[in-house]
Amino acid sequence: MSIKCSELTKVYEGGHSGWPALRGISFHIKPGEFVAVTGPSGCGKSTLLNIIGLLDEPSGGKYSLNGRNVFTLSDLERSDTRRDEIGFIFQSFHLLNRLSSVENVALPLMYAGAGRAEMHERAHALLRRVGLHGKEKKIPLELSGGERQRVAIARALANSPKLILADEPTGNLDSASSKEIMQMLTDLNAEGITVIMVTHDKELAARAGRNLRMRDGRLEP
Amino acid sequence: MRALLNAVKTGFTEIWAHKTRSVLSFLAIAAGSVVFIDAFSAIFATYAHLERQKQVSGMARMKISQNYSQTYSSPDDYVPPPVFRYEDVLRLREKMPELYMVSPEGRDWRNVLVYGEQRMTTSLMGVTPEWVKRDFIYTLKGRFLDWHDVENKLRVCVLVKKAAPPPGNSFNKSMMKKYNFTGGFDMLVAHNDMVGKTVNIDGFTFTVIGVLEELPYSKRPDTIMGRGQEYKVLAPVTTLVHYNFIGQQSLDINIDTGSEQNFDESMRKINNFLKIRFGDGDFFIVENQLEVIRERIAASIKGALVTISLGMLAFIAGGIGIMNVTLATVFARTREIGIRRAIGASRRDIMLQFIVEAVMLGLIGGVLGSALGYLWGVPIKVILGMGGSPIKPWMPLVSVLIAAFTAFAFAIYPAWVAAGLKPADALRAE
Repeated sequence: MSIKCSELTKVYEGGHSGWPALRGISFHIKPGEFVAVTGPSGCGKSTLLNIIGLLDEPSGGKYSLNGRNVFTLSDLERSDTRRDEIGFIFQSFHLLNRLSSVENVALPLMYAGAGRAEMHERAHALLRRVGLHGKEKKIPLELSGGERQRVAIARALANSPKLILADEPTGNLDSASSKEIMQMLTDLNAEGITVIMVTHDKELAARAGRNLRMRDGRLEP
Repeated sequence: MRALLNAVKTGFTEIWAHKTRSVLSFLAIAAGSVVFIDAFSAIFATYAHLERQKQVSGMARMKISQNYSQTYSSPDDYVPPPVFRYEDVLRLREKMPELYMVSPEGRDWRNVLVYGEQRMTTSLMGVTPEWVKRDFIYTLKGRFLDWHDVENKLRVCVLVKKAAPPPGNSFNKSMMKKYNFTGGFDMLVAHNDMVGKTVNIDGFTFTVIGVLEELPYSKRPDTIMGRGQEYKVLAPVTTLVHYNFIGQQSLDINIDTGSEQNFDESMRKINNFLKIRFGDGDFFIVENQLEVIRERIAASIKGALVTISLGMLAFIAGGIGIMNVTLATVFARTREIGIRRAIGASRRDIMLQFIVEAVMLGLIGGVLGSALGYLWGVPIKVILGMGGSPIKPWMPLVSVLIAAFTAFAFAIYPAWVAAGLKPADALRAE
């Protein structure tokens, strides 16, 4: 997944001139890279990740994802791209608490129109892969933080994405769990999946192939 | 399809997870359903009733009667008005054979009927065989008067047996008992098989050739025009004239022209007939009953429309309830919407989900309401003495469909709000 941004800006509405979260960001991420985005709180890391993941729209600049100009995509195309090519991992897991692990993992497959048997098989396989065999029927509240994040990773992998976006994936985890999750991300990257991870943690950032340091809505040189 | 199934599954989970909220919104729509079914069955009853009334009473009705409100400038000007006699009836029939019914009525009352040892007061009505053509709400034992009886002025008669008062009308029943209205003649007809017996009325012997038994209230349509005063003994009009029961009395003539199309034409002809036969003085009134009947039908329909609009209003209230609940759900589940959008749900998927949930609420409410509507319409109303509603199988079905449609219509806006949320904003929601 190749990601090219130039002069990306994002201004949140509010006040009389708005509040600029991104003030012109340019970078290029090549397929198969593991990039860590670091910087202090409020510097625009998550905003950048949301824009890369098509969850938010930039106010200006250029963004091309695999050569496609993102500005020209319809909402449906953006949804389909998120579903088929991008996997999200969030700090607070963002699992649906009323669904079991296996149902959470199957959700992206459902939106992709998979059949019942295929959904069942793939979701179970993914849960086994992240080491949650036997916890398929548990709802998120019955799982530990590390286990929840593993469910979230399994869900992110459901439609075999080419890009994983992780927003502080270990922020709510103890150090043992953090290690496991980090290892999983490294393994995924080794399989050829592009990984972009937002983090505060310098140690984790050091394990990424490349670091983008942000401050006040800009990339530090 | 899978998305739909999943939306249904999610819908069930959500409805189950928020039982109180869901029950309240079912109830809102169920109330609509109950009112609607009640309204529907009321309308259905009204229409069915009107149809039967039309069949029994006919539409193209008019009545010729003496004009009692003639004014004279001084007592000296008074001339006894002309009288509509049986000969005039025959003449009218001859002139206008196309009329469906020309039924004369001559009345006498406070007659004394003697049967064996029993004496009782009664009232007589002179009619012809045409009397049975309209407003016939009886079953007949024996036979009715025929033209032979009329032409030969035979002393034969038909007795009318009253039906029991309608159930629930306890006031009427107790009053009738208290004042012995049911006594005498009614008791005689009720407890004796009178066909073939002879009775004596005001000194003349009559043979009872038949008994007309009124249909019970539950089985008969009210005649639109009504029977007017209740008469208990029917005899050939010629007999009553001949034996001076009704002497020189002017007859009332009930007419049915047979169809509404030629009604005005017939009315004009009848007025002409009256002018030629009795002169220009307005001695007779031709009452246009078609108009009266039409007005009554219009009034019934208007009443029905008021009822149905109440039903619709109840549904709209239910729909607003569902809209409110769905909006609340959207705001309560904003983060979930964000999550679903992040993992690939399109706007359409989100809309579908909320609409499916609302339609499920509507369907459940509709089914619940139909059940309650049936309970209200049949057992409860009967217990309360309001009379059961005629609920047809399609009424609950239509009501469920309307409930689902109302829910659908009122869920569109909240679902649109949900689908319009930006994924990033929705994810940030608490």
